[in-house]
Amino acid sequence: MPPKDYQAEKEKCRKFLQEFYTEDDAGKKVFKYGVQLVSVAHREQVSLVIDLDDVGEEDPELVESVCENTRRYAGLFADAVHELLPEYREREHVAKDSLDVYIEHRLLMEQRGRDPSDTRDSRNQYPPELMRRFEVYFKPPSTMKPRGVRDVKADSIGKLVTVRGIVTRTTEVKPMMVVATYTCDQCGAETYQPIQSSSFMPIIMCPSQDCVTNKSGGRLYLQTRGSKFIKFQELRIQEHSDQVPVGNIPRSMTVFVRGENTRLAQPGNHVAISGIFLPQLKSGFRQAVQGLLSETYLEAHRIIMMNKTEDDELGTEELSEEELRQITEEDFYEKLAASIAPEIYGHEDVKKALLLLLVGGVEQAPRGMKIRGTINICLMGDPGVAKSQLLSYIDRLAPRSQYTTGRGSSGVGLTAAVMRDPLTGELTLEGGALVLADQGVCCIDEFDKMMDADRTAIHEVMEQQTISIAKAGIMTSLNARCSILAAANPAYGRYNPRKTVEQNIQLPAALLSRFDLLWLIQDRPDREGDLRLAQHITYVHQHCRQPPSHFTPIEMKLMRRYIALCKKKQPVVPEALADYITAAYVEMRKEARTNKDMTFTSARTLLSILRLSTALARLRLVDTVEKEDVNEAMRLMEMSKDSLQAEKNQSTRAQRPADVIFAALREMVPEKGVRSVRFADALQRCVSKGFTPVQFESALEEYEELNVWQVNQARTRITFV
Amino acid sequence: MPSALDWINSPLSVVQGFFAQTPNPEWEKKVVEYFKEKLKVNDAANWVPSLNDVPLHYLKPDSLVKFRCMVQDMFDPEFYMGVYETVDPVSKERMLRFGKYRDIAECGPQQEVDLNSNKSVTLERQTFYCVPIPGESPWVKETYACESQARVSPSTSYTPCRHKRSYEEDEDMDMQPSKQKDQLSGPPGVAESQTSGDSKRLETEAPSSQSNSLPGCSSPLDLNFPLPGEKGPACLVKMYEDWESVKVNDMLEVYGILSVDPVLSVLNEERDGSSSFLDTMDCTESAEEQKVRSPPASLVPRLHVLLVHKLEHNNPLLPQLADQSCESAVGFVSSFLSEVTSVRAELLGYFTHVLLGDSLAAEYLILHLISTVYARRDVLPLGKFTLNLSGCPRNTAYTENLYRVIQNIVPSSYLLGMSLHNMNSLRLVPQKDYTANRLVSSVLQLARNTSLFLDETVLEQGQLDTAGVRNITALGNLISWQKVDYDFNYHRMEFPCNINVLITSEGRSLLPADCLVHLQPQLNPPNMQEYLSALQVSLLPSLLNKFRVYLSLLRTMEYSISEEVTKAVEDDFVEMRKNDPQSISGEDLHRLLVVARLLSLSVGQTTLSRERWTRAKHLESLRKNRTEQQKCVNGNEP
Repeated sequence: MPPKDYQAEKEKCRKFLQEFYTEDDAGKKVFKYGVQLVSVAHREQVSLVIDLDDVGEEDPELVESVCENTRRYAGLFADAVHELLPEYREREHVAKDSLDVYIEHRLLMEQRGRDPSDTRDSRNQYPPELMRRFEVYFKPPSTMKPRGVRDVKADSIGKLVTVRGIVTRTTEVKPMMVVATYTCDQCGAETYQPIQSSSFMPIIMCPSQDCVTNKSGGRLYLQTRGSKFIKFQELRIQEHSDQVPVGNIPRSMTVFVRGENTRLAQPGNHVAISGIFLPQLKSGFRQAVQGLLSETYLEAHRIIMMNKTEDDELGTEELSEEELRQITEEDFYEKLAASIAPEIYGHEDVKKALLLLLVGGVEQAPRGMKIRGTINICLMGDPGVAKSQLLSYIDRLAPRSQYTTGRGSSGVGLTAAVMRDPLTGELTLEGGALVLADQGVCCIDEFDKMMDADRTAIHEVMEQQTISIAKAGIMTSLNARCSILAAANPAYGRYNPRKTVEQNIQLPAALLSRFDLLWLIQDRPDREGDLRLAQHITYVHQHCRQPPSHFTPIEMKLMRRYIALCKKKQPVVPEALADYITAAYVEMRKEARTNKDMTFTSARTLLSILRLSTALARLRLVDTVEKEDVNEAMRLMEMSKDSLQAEKNQSTRAQRPADVIFAALREMVPEKGVRSVRFADALQRCVSKGFTPVQFESALEEYEELNVWQVNQARTRITFV
Repeated sequence: MPSALDWINSPLSVVQGFFAQTPNPEWEKKVVEYFKEKLKVNDAANWVPSLNDVPLHYLKPDSLVKFRCMVQDMFDPEFYMGVYETVDPVSKERMLRFGKYRDIAECGPQQEVDLNSNKSVTLERQTFYCVPIPGESPWVKETYACESQARVSPSTSYTPCRHKRSYEEDEDMDMQPSKQKDQLSGPPGVAESQTSGDSKRLETEAPSSQSNSLPGCSSPLDLNFPLPGEKGPACLVKMYEDWESVKVNDMLEVYGILSVDPVLSVLNEERDGSSSFLDTMDCTESAEEQKVRSPPASLVPRLHVLLVHKLEHNNPLLPQLADQSCESAVGFVSSFLSEVTSVRAELLGYFTHVLLGDSLAAEYLILHLISTVYARRDVLPLGKFTLNLSGCPRNTAYTENLYRVIQNIVPSSYLLGMSLHNMNSLRLVPQKDYTANRLVSSVLQLARNTSLFLDETVLEQGQLDTAGVRNITALGNLISWQKVDYDFNYHRMEFPCNINVLITSEGRSLLPADCLVHLQPQLNPPNMQEYLSALQVSLLPSLLNKFRVYLSLLRTMEYSISEEVTKAVEDDFVEMRKNDPQSISGEDLHRLLVVARLLSLSVGQTTLSRERWTRAKHLESLRKNRTEQQKCVNGNEP
């Protein structure tokens, strides 16, 4: 392979910088780098970032060479910029600091020119680094994926790599000498020494023409003001925990950061760093001894801060067609629900509710009044029915979540604490679990064991979604727009269905009504279920793995991305459905009155239904709520109520539709006067209760045969006998 | 003799031979093959001196040694020159050399390494920080030491002070003078297994005091052992291939080339003294980090790996079963299985005596000791069987003696007294130290199948502080999920583990044990200490060894449940639920299946039979009744 003609390469770089342009909306050419070069020339901008995507548009080959031999090309680009700068200077600028003045003077000296025949020692010429006040960095092409520390191997030495990790250590920013300037005590000539490595050997004897010819033995003295320094910082990054194979210790990597990139990252930050992976040169004794080993570091070109949630959202855009298809199959609702905590057996409806909690309803703000969109769920149940596991699974699944226990967190731990900063002595506000879970899920285990005082804090959060603080002179209101998922144990060890919910959990009704859904998970013997449970457990023991089920649970990552996608939708309730929902609500209220229910139905219930329906619509990725959504929301409500009335369900045999229709009709009969109802009314009532007209017809016939009622010829009235 | 053992004494010359003969990169494979073959020859492995029982200064630098260890930490991979060229500045003579298996570049007197040679090859190797297996029982150390037939001659730096130190022991030694020599200078072929209890104690003391005499053990350098009071060398093990499969806490047996070049330490001191010409900018590591990453070679030798085996268990009496090729291992297993029932009966009898005549508790203790996590389903570990022995006498030193009994049978164990002070002051979870860039080890970093004996009887009234609560949580997680969350400061990382936890307590333990057995002592010996030590002494050594093999072997056996029995179990469960839904839950069924599994294994059966299933149910009901009774007695139990 013939050696590369770097002069030609430099021309390419120069050409690119001059000629690259994008077209803005108006179709005008915008010279992206030209504009920047102007501001660099006027000392208004220090770092010049070259986007390799842009370079790729002009010359894909150049990108490849840049990625392979980054350091050399960084130098070439810098040279090109340096040569271009005078062309871009539009006006004189005021010198900002002493180095600028120095540079100006030096340029003047050079222009004044000495004897052209006077061949100056190379060391007395100005090294290019000294005259530059800009920095050139590369932005890697977008096709380059960030890698883990583990994946950067010896073969990437000298190349441009992007590494993801967490910053574990940063040093202070120190000035690092780039060009050392000396003056001679005899002839006064300046001598320059560019420094590439981390240590250097100072020059002692003056190499200038005068001193050498006169043998005056001029001594050189280092001049701090005339030397050039650059900001330098050293970072240490460590792999993300998800990149580490099980049972391995996370690896780390040293990063050298210079100039404008310093002070960007703090310990604990998640970052993606693009840079050149280089071996470290040793000198002197160390080199001799450790000749066999070479240490490596990453010379940073670009540092991007990221946090975990952002990282996940990055994935959202990439939700491919196939993945979407995989999710939006026929029974995607069941499938998604079943993928929640697949290791916990059964509880389909609870899981569906949890899925809706993750997706969340649409927040409404008509005329300034805010109605929350988040869904709150409380799981109750006997000890040992996997409540906590469900909670911890949701905690893991939700992109943003906090897990606490009622006992373990005081009111302050849940809301916010005023702390005195140990260093400055100032009072600062530190958010508690509910604040930290803003826009996410807050899982509270052992909800019932919370102190009374702490519960009041929750009231506000659950409806207003804010936390108001008035402590130690700090008065403020913090956002806490989180869904609350609570788990509680019944007060007397086991749930007593004969008592009300409040009595069972010993929570005030005001708090309980703020939960959209209350589930009672009970451990009930039932042959079918027991057998399946037994089969499940024995299978696990027999084959050491999950039994093959008809579906494979959707991956957590995919779920997370899908849920994020769902959250972008803002479905609305169409006008047409409003009547339907109102009717249903009125019906529920009435039922609750007559039923002597253990639960209560209030205006909050209606809002809950709306929230659940919008969540369901979101899950289907549509923009309007449909009737089925409302029906499913009501079904879930119904199921959650049923779960609370466990015993009753068990004792009474399931009623046939006909019987229920009969009961409904009997209720409609006015107490005085003719014992009859209008046919149309009856039909509507039954349909609103969820029966089909066919069922209604058959019930009519059945009871007519029994001679309970009669339907007139025109089928307009039903008269009870 | 020396010529035959060249491969032990100067393995590098062997490597050099291959390097010179074979062109790149074949020679590397050949080297490994060669040593594999050499070690295969009957008991050749015993001829290799072991770092575990020979003090470091007795070993020749650059000789072949073996090391039985646990991976404590992993460092970042190192780039080194696999092949490099040296130049003689005078004669301009160039020479190719290999950089594998060594730390320091080898050069002739006037030669220089040519760093810019285009013939040099950069390769990668992985360094592991290894420590001796934590909690290794004395009998294991001693048995390994006896097997060793290595000829160890003191190196030139040997000083007579060692003799002085051993004089005190020489009195005991008089009756068996050969034995001591055995250990130090090792005439081949004398090592027979030790039987008498006296000599045993003596032998165990010897290696430990030897390592004491290591010049640096008292130095402030923390060797980072998981358990306090551990001794032995720590080692930087450098692996050249297949390091991906090695995980933290794996037990390894490493054959490698010992490197203790003092230059490695000189380098270090230069750094410490922050001498002027080594600018701090020169190195990317802080002083603390440097201390950890390259400690003085005299304290932490480097070991360049030629061969490595993962240890399935650490029982010297049992051959490693992983390599099925070994027929002797298969034969050994089948012959032992033939007498498994009688051994079990003996062991049951022994434990019954130890547990003061409670045979049910003894039965459960056996089940506990052969339990192991055999699979993980998602997060749920299968096969763990944490036992909580409640009702232990408090005032006497009973629990401590019980621990001695167990320690004498299992290969590795640790007693953790759960006193309030311990809980509040110890740090149980390993933690990453970012200044030194290492994983600071702590008690819960244990190798697989270590018996962790938690003594809750020493817990007194008082308050747990934050650290205490964290420790209790860590123990709870360990028991429920068999994982430890190592603290990486910015995040936590789960490390799965496989530790047998046994809790002794007065009442029900505050930790979530799988199985609670309330001890019902049938006898009440006046002097507990005497009673238990008498029991141990009266145990025949041959029988004791059988117990040891029994526990380790059964743990490794495969097990299956047939379809037919599965069906029966399912029906049984449904039936039980029907009769009394409160009596059994899914969790109980899990436990019942584990008990049935362990019960079958404990008699050498590898499938579940109906009979064993019934027996398991019977045992469980006995145990439950006892717990119920206890509840009634105590009333205040939850």
